Order: sequence, then structure tokens, then C-alpha cells
Amino acid sequence: MNKKAKTVKKKAKYFIIAGFILGATFIILSSKAIKYTSTDEFCMSCHVHPHAEDAWRLSTHYDNASGVVVHCVECHLPPPGTVHYLTAKAVTGARDVYGTLFKDPEEINWEAKRRLEAAVKHTYQESCMTCHQNLFPRQLSAEGMDAHLYYSNNSEKLNCLNCHLHVGHYSDVPHEQQLNFGAAAAEPAVIFEQAAEVTGFEKFTETIPGTSVQFDMLPIEGGTFTLGSPAKEPGRSFNEGPARNVEVSSFFMAEVEVTWDMYMAFFNETRSEGRKDAGAFAQSLDDITSPDAISGPTPPWGNPDQGWGFGNRPAITMSYHAAQTFCRWLSLKTGKNYRMPTEAEWEFAARGGTSTPYFFEGNPKDFTRTHWLNRILGADTTLINSYIIYDANSQLKTHTPDTIWANPFGLKNMLGNVWEFVADYYAEDAFAQYPEGQTIKDPKGPETGNERVIRGGAFNSDAYDVRSATRSQTQHDAWLVTDPQIPKSIWWYSDSYDVGFRVVLEWNAP
Amino acid sequence: MEDQSKLSGRRIFLKNAASIAAVGALGSSFILKSCSGDKTPKVVAPTFLDQAAEGKVLKVGLVGCGGRGTGALFNFLNSGPGIEIVALGDVFADRIGRCRNQLKEQRNVEVADENCFTGFDAYEKVLDSGIDVVVLATPPYFRAQHFDAAVRARKHVFMEKPLAVDPVGARSIMASAKMADTAGLKVGCGTQRHHERDYLTTYEHIKSGLMGDIVGANCYWNQGQLWFVNPQPGMSEMEAMLRDWVNWTWLSGDHIVEQHMHNIDVINWFTGKIPSKAVGFGSRQRRPTGDQYDNFSVDFVYEDGMHMHSMCRQINGCANNVSEFVVGTKGQSNCKNYVEDLQGNKLFEFTYAEEGSDAERESSGVKNVSPYDQEIIDLVTAIRNNTPYNEAELCAKSTMVAIMGRISAYTGKEVTYEEMMNSNLKLGPEDVSMATTGVKAVVAVPGVV
Repeated sequence: MNKKAKTVKKKAKYFIIAGFILGATFIILSSKAIKYTSTDEFCMSCHVHPHAEDAWRLSTHYDNASGVVVHCVECHLPPPGTVHYLTAKAVTGARDVYGTLFKDPEEINWEAKRRLEAAVKHTYQESCMTCHQNLFPRQLSAEGMDAHLYYSNNSEKLNCLNCHLHVGHYSDVPHEQQLNFGAAAAEPAVIFEQAAEVTGFEKFTETIPGTSVQFDMLPIEGGTFTLGSPAKEPGRSFNEGPARNVEVSSFFMAEVEVTWDMYMAFFNETRSEGRKDAGAFAQSLDDITSPDAISGPTPPWGNPDQGWGFGNRPAITMSYHAAQTFCRWLSLKTGKNYRMPTEAEWEFAARGGTSTPYFFEGNPKDFTRTHWLNRILGADTTLINSYIIYDANSQLKTHTPDTIWANPFGLKNMLGNVWEFVADYYAEDAFAQYPEGQTIKDPKGPETGNERVIRGGAFNSDAYDVRSATRSQTQHDAWLVTDPQIPKSIWWYSDSYDVGFRVVLEWNAP
Repeated sequence: MEDQSKLSGRRIFLKNAASIAAVGALGSSFILKSCSGDKTPKVVAPTFLDQAAEGKVLKVGLVGCGGRGTGALFNFLNSGPGIEIVALGDVFADRIGRCRNQLKEQRNVEVADENCFTGFDAYEKVLDSGIDVVVLATPPYFRAQHFDAAVRARKHVFMEKPLAVDPVGARSIMASAKMADTAGLKVGCGTQRHHERDYLTTYEHIKSGLMGDIVGANCYWNQGQLWFVNPQPGMSEMEAMLRDWVNWTWLSGDHIVEQHMHNIDVINWFTGKIPSKAVGFGSRQRRPTGDQYDNFSVDFVYEDGMHMHSMCRQINGCANNVSEFVVGTKGQSNCKNYVEDLQGNKLFEFTYAEEGSDAERESSGVKNVSPYDQEIIDLVTAIRNNTPYNEAELCAKSTMVAIMGRISAYTGKEVTYEEMMNSNLKLGPEDVSMATTGVKAVVAVPGVV
């Protein structure tokens, strides 16, 4: 009995020792493995986008006065020793292995991956903070002091990358106010002297006096339609209903979204040099009676066009206030009354006489990439591709109107390309506020509100969100989070690049 | 040598350990004791230092040699041994002369010629003269620039309130305060009520719940006309303004900021919160020079709906009152030395011991040390003991609140603290030099865009 107990004890001892050795070996090996798989060389052995390495070597995190090099995992993983370090490493590793084996690097949109919303998913705020513990070093500039004070008071809203997006991978995107924005435009060949004269309810080409800008206005014959979507429409949101019978009067609508050419004509004529503390003290636009009296946008911060180019691409990143000011300027320049469409006018025009999800045949369910079957098997998207710029065909940027076909009314990009501001204030239950069972004539939405309605979806929207009935809203504060200026710009959104607008003109039949 | 100094440093530390523990950051360290049998919290009387902790000799420089700046140097000398006044800076040579004379006559302290600097850049030279602590006591317009330079030069700071005249300046102070913290610098701010035993003791009693939660507040600085200086022959425009600075908004922030900010600060301190918006009015009735108002009345509103009414006036022949008042759910207090219940029954009263009495000799808890000395004693102690000490953030917030009240009265609009934190309003001429001209005395008119 005793002997047996002794043997058991002895065996247990061996087991424990063996366990220790195994454990130690495991720990040593796994720590070696972690170390090995955390070197820059290891990362780059799979990461087949050489520009990432090049941009890293050019960045301040590689090439700086102190000679300290910050390695891939120091930003792209949580700090070692934190609870989720290993899980993050495993997940990131698994995703990278999958990507390496099954994806074609040529087809990955690397440019889009470098934008803020993608970058924050691959870097860790706590990792930034692990090294950058002193936000007020002695060399910090006055602007930096103000900005870091702002961060200290708003840290839950802001990520380091909001302002320091390109510190890990160099970019030549300017990180400053573009004081010469628009100045380099070539001298135009034609300068229009007169605005178009509207003689009847038919298509006309507006010409903005004193500029070389022209655009087509199409007549939209008024009528009755169902505003909103039926309860069973695939992809429908609660805010698209209840559907209501609505009658809209005839109006003209611009064939295309306001282009950069149009917007830059406005910018260059009205730009204001200094920053004005407008806000509550701003003059009402309606009180301005001459285009010369309009004090327009200040120079933007960074690249408003996101580097995609200007010309006929839709203008983006302007604030709602800027869009309103544009309409006022255009009205005074042309002697007409241009404005943004009401939500009802917009949807009536977008539907082009249809009541289906799109103005062409097709079910959003078959196009969406949110469905796993579509992702794996692919979907027949020929039709939608010919009409709409959306996330499956856009390479995640805007496109010029000539790349797609028009809707039944001849309008282009009503769905997709960029969201469009409309005149109405946003309310989730805006349609429910209209009386049921009758036809509402020219509704204008809630009387007051904080945010405006945006419609049509954009280049980065899923097929579900480029339906005729899709509704969304501006997000004033969120769209200005990154703006480093104090006060923030009233002219440019720093964190919105998928919203533009289009103009309409009322038609008063003689 | 190095080791020895470290050693002596440690000895000083040990020697002062008890007082550090007792004094804490603001010279106030009350301990709430809750005995098992007794449910009412007891506030233990604070221990105040009558003299700064001993230690390293501190070299002090002054920027702005007016009455208050010179006074602050005396307060440094009063704080105990180991203080050397080594450098003076002012825009005007006569101011430096007067300050030197007073130091010499009253304390036999001499400042060498080569350490006296005149001009708008005098502050840089003072900071560069080998000092440990700088006193910033120019008109408040210059404070943000001087504080920024002092912190970057890694000097401890004593600076007078208010800390700024506009939102840009107040934010600059807040950011520099954070840099001071990261650099381990100590900053005192001239809001001396934080160093008065009566205020501190009353504060601790209110904090212990004696009068419930504070639900309303009033504060006042109503006094007669303040001094002014008429332009003299031979004075440049700028010199005339600088010598008359308490009458010019760009230099002083107007009297709601320059003076009344003290009382607003007490309410901020006692309530532990900052008003989120203000609607105020004011006017200019009898002020002889400059462009400021001489009366303000402002309704400050907090996020939770609480109101603070603030009023200030600098007009002769009117009812005067400099005080604060808070109402709680179970009582009310003047913040200074009494608390009563809502029926008027006394709940607490603070009285100083009679000068020269036994009580005063025995206990440092009741001795009426000048708060101007006390704030320097507390600052010097914090520097020598390396304990956290930075009054700039709260003082900058109180300054900002007062600025918010002024802007509301000037414009007639409701103004929010959020707007202040995002405003680019900066007062004063683009370049300040003795040759600067063209600053017009324009009195603000509310309701006009």
C-alpha cells in the first residue's frame, strides 16, 4: 500500500516535471512564434501591396529625427499584454492568410483602405497612446495645443487618426488649408454673357453669366405618385413609410448632380479669404440681393475632391449651408429662383413614373452584397450596373454622369453616385405626419428640425440603399469631427465625401 | 555634490512629509470621519502652514511690475526663508524703478541692473535669467502668451487672474496648463479665496452635505468707480491705454472678467460645475475713459437647469456688495463663513481667533494669515515638496465663464460655453508695440449684428 502510494507519488512527480517542461517549451516556442510572426519581415512576406511598405518607410513613424522605427504590429495590433492582444493577432493573422490565399491583390481597392473609416479598423487607439503618452510636449505648436485641448475635452468622439491619418503610411495629401484652391483653373474658352431664357416647359441649357459653365435643365411634368415604399419592399427601412399619395407641381430639374465645374465657378466668385464667425450672426441669404454681396466658402482643408478629380464629377464635401448659398448665388446670377428639390419632388423625379424599388426592373435582394449567397455565387448585375454607381461598380469613388444611363425622365445619377441634399428637414416619421387617405399637394416636410434629408444613396452604398425610396439624413456634428479648425468650417464637411446635391427650378405656367 | 543634494532633498522631504500629507494640493485637506455610532459626517479642521515648507532656494522673477506684481513679490518674501527676487520685467522703466525702490526700502532686497528688463519682450529675458518661479502680473491681455512661454521654459508660475480676455486666450491657458502638468510644473493663480481658511472650512462643511445639494447661486462685485488714467502729453496712444488698462476691454477683459471673475470662480468651485450658457446685459454709464461697460447683470444657466445670477458694477454712490451666496436643498450660505438652514437657524459659523489670543498662538487652524501670503505659501510648499499643484485649469474655466457673460451682454445674444470653446475671437490689435495706433474706443452695443 505504502509502496504503491510512493510509486503513484513518484509518477505524479514525473508527470508534473514533464508538464513543466512541456509547458515551458510551449511557452518558449509560442513566445518565439509570436515574436517571429510579429516582425516587419514576416508581415511583409505576405502583404503584397508594396506601396504600404514604401509609404511606411517615408512616414514619420519610420523616418524621423529621433531615429525610432515603429513596426507594423505596434500600430496594427493592440499593445502586447492587453487581454485582446492574442485574439486580435489570431484574427488579423487568419484574415491575412485568407486574403493571401484567395484574393487577388490587384483587385483590392487599396486607396479606399487608406481612408479614415477603413484605417481605424486596422489600427488601435490604445496602441497610439502606448507610445504617445504626452499630448502636450514642449515643441507642440499653438495650433497643436488648441487641437489637443479639443481632443482632451472630446476624446470619446475622436480617434488619433482623425487628424493624424497619414503618420504611419506617408501620403502627399495636403494636411492644411488649401489657400490656392481653385486658383489654378485654366482660362475658359467661352464666357457666357447671359443666362438662358426660359420660354416654355421644355428642356433648356442654363448658362451662368460671367463663367463658362452650362448645364441642362429638364422639364418634369407634375403628377401624382406614391411617396415612400410599400411595407414589403426588400431592404426597406421604417422611415420610408407609411406611403402617402402625393401630388407635385411641374418643375425643372438639373439633368445631373451639381458638378465640380459648377461649384468651382461659385467658389471662385464668392470665396472669402478670412474665416468669418458667421453662425448665429450670419446674414439671412434671402436678404442678399446681389451675387457680389454673397460671402462664399473659405478655402477647404485637405482635398475636397479626395484626389478623384474635378470637372464633371459631382461636387462633394460642401456643407448644407454651402449648398444653400450656391443656390442663392445661382439664382442671383441667372435671375431665376433655383433651389434644392423638396423630398417629394426628388422622389417623384427619381421614380420617373415607376413604383418599383428601382426605376428599372430588378429586386434589391438579387443585387445586394450583404447576402452571402450573392457574395459567393455572384449576381447578375448587368442592369443595375448600367444605371447606378454603387458599391459594387464604383471602386468606391464618384464617377462622371456619362458612365451611366438616365432614368425615364432623362435624369442621371438620381440613384447612386452621391447622396443628394433635399430641402426638407429630416424626421424618421415625416410621412406619418401627413394625413392618411388624401392626396397631399407639394408637401415640404417637417417645419423645423436639426438635420436635412438626403436621398438616392451613393457610390459606397449597397444595392439595398440605392432604391428610389431610400431615405437618410445629414449628420452635422459627425461630419465635422475631423475638422481641426476652431471654430469648425461652416462651408466644408471634413468627414463626408459621398453627399452632393442637385438644383430645381419652379415652373409657373404662363 | 549631486548625491548630496539628492540626499538633502530627501531629508527635506522626510522632514516635511507630515505637512505634505496635511496640506495637500490647495492647502486644504479635510478628512471626513464617519464614526460608527455617529451618522453625521464630521469635518476635521484643516492644518494650514503659516510658512512655506523649507527646502531649495527659489529664484523668483516678476513680469509686470505694477502694484499687484510688486505685492506678489512681498507675498513670496513673506512665505518664509529661501526666496530670492532676481529679475524684473515691465514695459515701463518707471514701474520697474518703483518696484525696486519698494523692495529695497521695505525688505532690503536689491535686484541687479542687468536683471531689470523693459519692453514688450521683457518677459522672455526674465524667463531667461535663471529663475525658478515667474510671477505674471501684466494686464491679462498678455497672460496667455507669457504663460505659454513660461511653461515651455519650464518655470513654475504664479499668475494673476483673470487669465485671459478672450476665448482664444482662455483656451491657450487651458492647453498650457496641461503642458505644465506633463512637465511637473506648479502653477498658482491669484484666486486667493481658495486659500482663505474661512472659505475653505465653509466649503468643506457644504461639501459634507450640511445644507443639502446646491440648487441656486448669486454672486456680486458692486463697488464704486475704479481708478483711471487720462492720456498725458507726450504719451503714445499705446502707452496711454496700457497705463489706463482696467478701462479697456482688450487689455482687461472688462470688469466682469477682470474683477468679478473672483466671485464667479467661487460659485464654480462650490458647485463643482461650469455654466453651459449665459444671457446678460450691461451698459456704460459713468466710466470716464476706455471702452468698457461699468455694470453687468448676467443669468448663467447650468446643464442641469440651475441658475447663477451674477452682477457687477463700478459706479460711485450706489449700493455696494462683494460676496457670493448659494442656496441648497436644506440651507444656504455666503460661502465665506456661515451656513444656515432654510428657517435661518445657524448650522455653522467660522470665526478667526482674535489676534494675539491664546487660541491663535496655539492653533494654526484659526490664524488669519493673509490669503495673498497663503496662496504663495501653498505654491512654494508644493514646488519644494513636488506635490501636484495647478490652479490654472479651474481659473481658466472661470475666466472663460466671465468672458461668456461679457460677450452675451455686449451682443445681447445667448452665448454658450460650447461656443466659447469653439470661438476664434481674439481681442486687441494685430501687433502690439509702442507705435501701435488706431485702437478706437468703441463701446459695444447689444442687438446690433
